[in-house]
Amino acid sequence: MTTSQPRNVKATAGFDALAWKWMRYSAFLLIPLAWGHVLIQDILMGGHSIDLNYVSVRWSMIGWRIYDFCLLSFAFAHGINGLRQVLFDYIRSEKFRRWTAWGLLAAWVIISAIGAVAIIGGVR
Amino acid sequence: MLSRFRATLSGYATYSARGGLFPFLLHRITGLGTLIFLTIHITTTASVYFYPSFYNRFLTLFRTPLFMLGEIILVFCVIFHGVNGLRIAYFDLFKPDLWKKPFFQKTTRLTLLIALLLWLPAAAVMGYDLLKIGFGLFGEE
Repeated sequence: MTTSQPRNVKATAGFDALAWKWMRYSAFLLIPLAWGHVLIQDILMGGHSIDLNYVSVRWSMIGWRIYDFCLLSFAFAHGINGLRQVLFDYIRSEKFRRWTAWGLLAAWVIISAIGAVAIIGGVR
Repeated sequence: MLSRFRATLSGYATYSARGGLFPFLLHRITGLGTLIFLTIHITTTASVYFYPSFYNRFLTLFRTPLFMLGEIILVFCVIFHGVNGLRIAYFDLFKPDLWKKPFFQKTTRLTLLIALLLWLPAAAVMGYDLLKIGFGLFGEE
């Protein structure tokens, strides 16, 4: 083992290479998206001052709906893939890895769909 | 199971010897913490469409001191994960040479410093709200 190369930055081919790139490129996009969201909603507004009326006013502007839709797609896919990478560090068996991957995929699709329907449908 | 656990620990120890254990673990913890929140956040916010009356109940819960404190911790998670993630993404994609040892150890400390500097003003604003709304200090409005 050489000490001059502390970290292997060459990704393997296939899906994991794609996932590796996804985590890094989506990071650049998530900085403005997620930090902007946290700055406005948690720090400037404060979670305590948010109510149904606030959400309906916010979502009356199409720009914020598109913003939230992008945030939902990028943040949740980034998070689910991150969880997959963490779990795969502990799960060595191919069989359990496959079950984990399918379970995460299902959770990702279902929860993303719930969020997407709410953003498109708006406040009722 | 135990041997695997030991292998994991020794793996982390090796990682630590290279100087990156702390940001590695903190990156994972903050990421997982944010993901747990995100799952709750997406499903509860979606109730504005599916069950608007539930949304008001969730809001009552989110205004309790425990959740307001959690919100302050969450903001730290999002800030640290972002600053450290930017460092990882930039080094990995554009400057892999920067992972050489003495340099990236310095950037680890810088990352934590930047994250704390960004978080402290946010924590002050949110901490004030926690004391005022969560605990009813500073008198009534």
